[in-house]
Formats: sequence, C-alpha cells, structure tokens
Amino acid sequence: MLIHYIRIWLRLTLSSFQVALISRFGAVLFTVAKLLRFGFFLSIVYLVMNKTNTLAGYTLSQSIVFFLTYNVIDTFTQLLFRDVYRFRQKVINGDFDLILIKPMSPLFRVLLGGADPMDLIVLIPYVCILMFFLFQTNTSVGLFAIYILLLTNAFIISTAFHITVLALGILTTEIDHTIMIYRDITSMARFPIDIYQEPIRALITFIIPIGIMMTFPVKALFGLLSLPLLLIALGLGLGVIGLSLLFWQIALTKYTSASS
Amino acid sequence: MSLITSKKYLMIFKNTWDEYSAYRINFVFWRVRVVLRFLITYFLWSAIYSSQQNYFGYNRQSMLSYVLLTYLVSNFVFATRTQDIGSEINEGRLTNYLLRPINYFTGLIARDISDKFINFIFTVVEFVFLLNIFQPPIFFQTNFNIVVFSIIGFLGSIVIYFYISILLGFIGFWSAEIWGIRFIFMVLLDFFAGTLFPIDILPAIVTKILLFTPFPYMFYFPIKIYLGRLSLNEIILGFGVLCTWIFLLKSLVMIVWNKGLRIYSAEGR
Repeated sequence: MLIHYIRIWLRLTLSSFQVALISRFGAVLFTVAKLLRFGFFLSIVYLVMNKTNTLAGYTLSQSIVFFLTYNVIDTFTQLLFRDVYRFRQKVINGDFDLILIKPMSPLFRVLLGGADPMDLIVLIPYVCILMFFLFQTNTSVGLFAIYILLLTNAFIISTAFHITVLALGILTTEIDHTIMIYRDITSMARFPIDIYQEPIRALITFIIPIGIMMTFPVKALFGLLSLPLLLIALGLGLGVIGLSLLFWQIALTKYTSASS
Repeated sequence: MSLITSKKYLMIFKNTWDEYSAYRINFVFWRVRVVLRFLITYFLWSAIYSSQQNYFGYNRQSMLSYVLLTYLVSNFVFATRTQDIGSEINEGRLTNYLLRPINYFTGLIARDISDKFINFIFTVVEFVFLLNIFQPPIFFQTNFNIVVFSIIGFLGSIVIYFYISILLGFIGFWSAEIWGIRFIFMVLLDFFAGTLFPIDILPAIVTKILLFTPFPYMFYFPIKIYLGRLSLNEIILGFGVLCTWIFLLKSLVMIVWNKGLRIYSAEGR
C-alpha cells in the first residue's frame, strides 16, 4: 500500500514539475523573490544582533540557527503541501468530486498532490546553510537526535494544520485566507519565541503550537529544553494530528458537492 | 465632471463595495491577516526595545510609534484594486471597461477609493482596539506645519503606489507572468519602503541610495516627517524626489498604456 502511494506521489510530483516548467520565467521570478526575501530577513537578523548583541539571551549564531530552522520547516512543508493552496478552487468548481471517485485516499490526493519544484530549489541552499551553522554549534549527538525528533514532530504538527485548513475548505468555501493566516502566524517564529511577552508566548506555544514546531527543536539542540516540555511537545504533536484527522472525517461527511 | 459622469463613477465605487459585501468572511479573514502581520512586527520591535535602550537612533517610543503609523499608512496605501489589472488583461476582461463610456483611469481611481474607504473603516476600528489592548507609547506630533507636510507626503505615497501597481499590471499586455514580478516587488517593498523597519537603520550608504528610489516615499518618508525626524531641507529634497517620481511614473503609465492597447487582442474573450 505504501509503495503504491509513493508511486502515485512521484507521478503527481513529476506532473507538478512539468507544469512549473511550462512557465520557466515565472518559476525563476518566484524563486528569485523567495531567495531575496530569505537574504533580506537574514540581513535583518544580522543587523539587529549587531546592535543588541543578544536577542532574548541568544547569540548571533544561535539566532541564525533559529531563523534557518524556521525556513527549512516552512519551505519543506510548502514543498510537500503546495496543493492545499489550490484546494478551495477544487471545491468551488467541483473538481473535488473527481478526486472522491478515484481509488485512493482523497486526503492523500489533496494534501500531497505534487511537490513544488520552486520550493525544492530554495530548500537546498537553506539546508546547506543550516548544516554549516549546525556544525559550528557545540552540541552532542544525543541533543542533535532530539533536534531531528522535534523537527519530525514539527512536520507532524504542520501536517495537522494543513489537514485542518482542508477541512475548513470543505465546510466553508468563503475562506480564502486560512492557509495564509497559518503562514503569517508561523512567521512569528522567524525569531525565537522567547522574545515575545506573556500571554503571547504561551498562546503561540500551547494553543497555536508554532513555538513547539519552530523554537523547541533549536532549544533542544542547545540543551535548553526540559524533559517535561519535550514530552508535552511530542504528546501535543500526536494529539493535534489525531484531532485534525477526526475533523477531516467530519468535514467530509458535510461535503455536498453543490458546485459540480 | 458632470452630474451624470459623477454618477457613473459613484456606481463603480458602490459596485466595489458590494463585491466586498458578497464575500464578507473572506474580507474579515483578510483583515485578520493584516492585523496579524502588524502584531508580528510590533512584538518583534517591542521585544528588541524591551530593555528601554536606544538602538539605531530610535528609542522605544519612537520605534513603536513608527511601527503603529506604518500600520495606519500601509493599510491606506496598500488598499487598491490595481493588482487585478494584469489578470483582467490576460483574461480579456479589460474589454468590458474599454467598451463602456467611462475613462479607464477614473474608473480605477473610483475602485481604489472604494477599497481604501472600506479598509479605512476597519483600520480605524482595529487601531482603536489595538491601542486599548497594548497601550503602546505613541508619539503625538503637535507642530501643525509638520502634520500638514506629513499628510501631503502621505497623499504622495498613495499616488506613487497607485502608478507603480498599475505599471506592474500593464505587464499583462506582454506577458502572462504578472504575479512573479509583483511578488518580487512586494518583497522589495517590505524591505526598502520601510514597512517592516525604518530604512535609516540600514547602513548610511544604502539609505542614501534608497532615498533616490520611489520605495521610501510610499511609507518611510511621510512617517518620518510626522515623527519630526527630518529637517526642512530633507523634507524639501524629499518632496522634490517624490514629485519627480510621480511625474515620471505618470508619464510611463500613459506611454505603456498606449503601447499596450495597440497589441491588446482581448485574448480569452
């Protein structure tokens, strides 16, 4: 079954790449814009740190690791879940009906409907720069393993967010901005969430768990995450993915196929 | 403008308003995004200045005032429907406007005023709400002349963004790749117009170069005037550059419009 779905995903990704290559100039423009934005934000981190020396107690190189980890998680999820951005249109014009009658999981199809080549192009330099800074960090193999574990947890939480957005897309076709609201909220974690004051910090850690997604892995890497918080993070990851799948199932039963 | 002509543009104003009313939740979510983006910038600078120190020549009050004013100004400057022009050309919908007995540009202005009006109402409500919640230290300008200068600069910001956005839309006459270029423009706007931070925190040479581009005149310039951080000479020089850009952009818009119409084929209709 897994191999079957991997084959479908590869086929969908190949099609997605072919579509992107039809308008090469557009693909280049979007890639340039993404790299520009990355470079500009990195400059801002450097500029701010150059004046303040520390940000919420973190040094320049530590802050850059936070920023790069945010970019890698954000870009990797965009790379995989790009089709979520197109889901509302499928519901409005009735194309979702065609997905429902196919012999595969509709959630798989609308969630992982083909990777975005532009995100793959920008992800490679992000990972390389992150690796460069990670090698300069004084950390142990054990802490690095927890970092990877929490990155996986971040990916699970992000998947739950995207499934929730899909479910909302079925329940109300009026919403066009849900996924962008998610992106905006996660962008708060470009910097370590420790810079925010309470109750904002608690809100973006435990209610909307972007702190757990983006900041906790790096804190673990620096040995600054306690065991109870690590367990809470992993438990929350499992909890939100379970709830999002339940929400998707409920939303699916409410789909009326009214527009087809 | 005669009464009948005025009524036509009033109808365009009303239609744009009605379009927003038709997709109310969508609009509310858009406003949520706008507030969120402001909060992210506000919290970031608030955290950097939490120790009450001076950085980049700004203290906590002046930096947070700058961020708050950026929220007000950007909501008004950014509120435009000109971003639809490119897809209207690509899909042939421009023909609908060309066939009607209206001036295309006056119609665009009517649509924009409607957009700005509805966004202004929401911005004021949100602004009062945010002020009550966070009670930030705000700088109130008491010098009448400076307030007048900043309002003129603010009106110039609207005009300059309007023309640039139209020009980006007119790319649709020659190419279907309209969103990539607009995306690059938005990224440049975030960093060089002063929406995320005042550009004078950048190295001096970068700031000097930027002041000759149109970017700072969309946000940074009117806010800096309001905060009283520009000398009279700097204000006069700034207005000179602003007027030059408005003249150049307006001329360019008319040239590109006339050339574009010659090759417009109403593709998609």
